Amino acid sequence: MQLLSVQNLCKNYDKFRLKDVSFSLDAGYIMGFIGPNGAGKTTTLKAMMGLVKKDGGRVFVMGRDFDEHEMDLKQHIGFSLGGVDYYAKIPLRRITSVVRRFYASWDDEAYRRYIRRFELDEDKRPTELSGGMRVKYALALALSHNARLLLLAEPTSGLDPVARDDLLELFQELIEDGERSILFSTHITSDLEKCADYITYIENGRIVESRARDELLAAYRVVKGTPEQYSAVSPRLISAKKHAFGFTGLMRTEDVRPEDGLAAEAPALEDIMIYHARKENGNEEPAV
Amino acid sequence: MKNLLYKELALVVHPMFYLVPLTGALLLIPQWPYFVAMMYFFFITVPNVFQTARTANDIGFTVMLPVRKRDVVKARLYNVVFLEQVQIAVAAPFAARNNALYPEGNFLLDAGIAFFGLTFAMYGLFNLVFLPMFYKTAYKLGVPIIAAICACVLFAGAAETIALIVPGAAAVLDGIGPQALARQLPVLAAGIALFVLLSWLAYRVSARRFERVDL
Repeated sequence: MQLLSVQNLCKNYDKFRLKDVSFSLDAGYIMGFIGPNGAGKTTTLKAMMGLVKKDGGRVFVMGRDFDEHEMDLKQHIGFSLGGVDYYAKIPLRRITSVVRRFYASWDDEAYRRYIRRFELDEDKRPTELSGGMRVKYALALALSHNARLLLLAEPTSGLDPVARDDLLELFQELIEDGERSILFSTHITSDLEKCADYITYIENGRIVESRARDELLAAYRVVKGTPEQYSAVSPRLISAKKHAFGFTGLMRTEDVRPEDGLAAEAPALEDIMIYHARKENGNEEPAV
Repeated sequence: MKNLLYKELALVVHPMFYLVPLTGALLLIPQWPYFVAMMYFFFITVPNVFQTARTANDIGFTVMLPVRKRDVVKARLYNVVFLEQVQIAVAAPFAARNNALYPEGNFLLDAGIAFFGLTFAMYGLFNLVFLPMFYKTAYKLGVPIIAAICACVLFAGAAETIALIVPGAAAVLDGIGPQALARQLPVLAAGIALFVLLSWLAYRVSARRFERVDL
């Protein structure tokens, strides 16, 4: 079942535009939403949830138009813009006492369970929690109303590797029953190598790729060659970095030809992101 | 509505601001402009409540809840209207005491029934000027609060002046005692009606403006 479908989302700012952002996510999967800083990840999430007024496009959650059924659909969505960044001086207990009232399907037992599991102290205030704990509190709130779709902006940024790993494991666990899906934005590509089933890559307000992670990785090759080989293959390169001994670049797998004699290897997500970003910036020459 | 108001009272309004309505005790001062006692609400409570909410990122919190964006505005409107009513409710017994203490009346408007009608109208005017101006940005507080206070001071000044110089106006706006009650009740009713109408209008315009704010 398709839990989320975003169709041709547009938003115009003076100096930035989201252009026809479209992607979809089925139940039971994790989608990583990646892109450089300022590429439009958080703006997309905000526009999806109506925090930013969209200039075009539609969003469907559980097959229903979000704008028409906003109140109802939000009961099934857990949304967090990077952990708890509100009411820093109010004890968690009081914040929860407010949040629970708004959800018809609030499950107090589940809430207690997550609070224990995350070792959260309800008498503490958000300001006394570490970054990781704040994200966990936001997750505990989202999970206690049985959210089917979790939309999380940068949940892992600012966390240490141990906390990140822990969180990613939790994500995996959450989707196991095939009911929930998670869409989370990040610029830490190694997070996605650990747990994402799908990757949506946004660059300068435009979706460059949105597909299964392995499919995405298989679609590109990092190629290395000598300076002499560069001119022959450069039209087929997404972008490249030149150095004293030749160049390293990114190429679509179907563009790699054996007769070029280039060394080709599987890319990491980071490579795909970096070389696409270089293309966007029109900066193919070394920065030094 | 219950949940939105609960959110405001549990998180946004510091308990200290429930003491502000005690400024209603100023109605015990003899020979005084009684509107001032009712103005402490927007001298003290409103700027502090909005400032607290802004600092605590209340908007960020509220939009995470399963509510519409305009419910951010609605919650705050409920809050303001609730506190305005508390301010009036607490002032009422002091007004009764005032009437008993000073049967000769006040040189300006008496703290009678019509005075409360005018207070309702003044609060309605405050809501109408302040909320739509504030929710244009949902951030900038200074100019909207100053503009709304100026509007209210002008309104109160005009009411006092009209009662003093317009013949016949004092008969419906001023005076205490049983015979004043019948003449002034329509003023109270009109004040309440105006308060409801202006507050509703304030919400409509504010919500529309807030929908356009990119959070």
